[in-house]
Amino acid sequence: MTRPLKNLSGQATYSLISWATVAAILLLWYFATAGGLVSAFILPSPSNLWAEFRELVLKGYAGKTLTDHILASLFRTFTGLGLGIAIGVPVGLLMGSSRVANAILGPIFSFLRPIPPIAFIPLMILYFGIGEFSKIALIFLAALYYVVLNTSAGVRTVPQDLVRAGQNMGLTRVRLFSKVVFWAALPHIMTGVKTATAISWAIVVAAELIAAQAGLGFMVMDATTFFRVPNVYIGIIIIGLIGVTLEVITLAIDRRLLHWMGK
Amino acid sequence: MTGPEAGALRIMISILGIKRVFPPTSKRSTSVVALNGVNAEVFEEEIVGLLGPSGCGKTTLLNLIAGFDRQNEGKIIVAGRQVERPGPDRMMVFQFPALFAWLTVWRNVIFGPQERGENPREYEPRARGLLEAVGLKGREHDYPYQLSGGMKQRVQLARALLNRPEVLLMDEPFGALDSQTRSQMQELLLEVWGLYHPTILLVTHDAEEALFLCHRIYVMGCNGGIRETIPVPFSFPRKFDLIGTTEFARLKYNLLSALRSEEERPECPRQLGDKFTQD
Repeated sequence: MTRPLKNLSGQATYSLISWATVAAILLLWYFATAGGLVSAFILPSPSNLWAEFRELVLKGYAGKTLTDHILASLFRTFTGLGLGIAIGVPVGLLMGSSRVANAILGPIFSFLRPIPPIAFIPLMILYFGIGEFSKIALIFLAALYYVVLNTSAGVRTVPQDLVRAGQNMGLTRVRLFSKVVFWAALPHIMTGVKTATAISWAIVVAAELIAAQAGLGFMVMDATTFFRVPNVYIGIIIIGLIGVTLEVITLAIDRRLLHWMGK
Repeated sequence: MTGPEAGALRIMISILGIKRVFPPTSKRSTSVVALNGVNAEVFEEEIVGLLGPSGCGKTTLLNLIAGFDRQNEGKIIVAGRQVERPGPDRMMVFQFPALFAWLTVWRNVIFGPQERGENPREYEPRARGLLEAVGLKGREHDYPYQLSGGMKQRVQLARALLNRPEVLLMDEPFGALDSQTRSQMQELLLEVWGLYHPTILLVTHDAEEALFLCHRIYVMGCNGGIRETIPVPFSFPRKFDLIGTTEFARLKYNLLSALRSEEERPECPRQLGDKFTQD
């Protein structure tokens, strides 16, 4: 280890290295564009991008403010995701605890398993047009799928002794389910929710790329069509930042709900 | 001195002609006779050990008494009532502590009476007393992940006893602990027994543990029945020093010899292991 880093703890050292990487990329970007190494058309300079960003905030894009575009994407995501979780958790609990329910619904989910949700975008447009409904429906289906699979797996892997301990203390079937099985399955359910959130955000962007009049995906696609390259970059960066934020939020919820796991 | 105290004691558990056959798990396997004509009884306030080679049906018998499983023949009567289903009159202490990880120690212990809607003013003081008896005073607000294996078993013991069971069923409760903790837990169990006098049926494969804890030991055989009943002559309260006496060593030798000869019988299905008795 080099001298200046000697007094830092291991974690601090590594985060310093990570920040150095970020700084190096920004510097490389700056010099590449300032020195004329790449054309400003393909890669705008950082200062250019910042100026374009400020203009985007002031003037908006395609008749809508930047906030409108962001909210359009978030609204679709949260509506589809919320519905997917609200319906997916009960369906998953049912499939995990009832062999009959699993036998009925199992084949549907087995069939869907290998198909990327994005493959349904054209079909959704064909069914429901390019309005809000088709996008929300697609996100709903994808979220539902991940939540149902994880929840039912969670219920199936609840340790037998835990259920027996509940029975032993005289719990009725309903209480046993709400007081023991649900909680024991919660770590799995949360894995499903986290995955569904990440997938939903990916899908909303993909759906907007194909057909939309608003949203971050629409902005990126539309800006590409009209060669407004800085807007493409800005859109991608915002999509990334929101994706990271969603991950941080779901992780915080996860930690709060599952603090008893001691992680 | 075979029973806990002299005099006529109530029979708490009667096991009458129990047969349990597990159906084949696949087309190539055959059905397994786990228990075949088991007769036994446990008296009030008695600690009885079920000792035997692995796969002999000890846990199967315990699960039948708890009501987790149903026998093919025979019946089990606990405190005058025939066993039909699980219930708080027969509390199980599991080998791997089945604590609710999302509840604190306190909420784990009071879970049963709380769920049955009993009066907190009745069970809460008892819960505090039990937690003190098992040495967990001050740990009420901890979550199970913050406890050691031995402490988790103490919580399980307190939780089970708070339900005021007629009998306590213990399935190798100290089998997963290191030897030092196990020895401490054995002494603790005897102390708790001295305070509350629960009737205990204890499954173990450890001859020393059975001799140290029990009033009486049933040695189970590989034929799915009880081979021998061994009274343990040591008086209560018992202390750790007992293990060092020559009398203890002699009894342990006899018990181990009985187990050994049992395991060497041709009908002993050693390759089956415990997996058939687990579920």
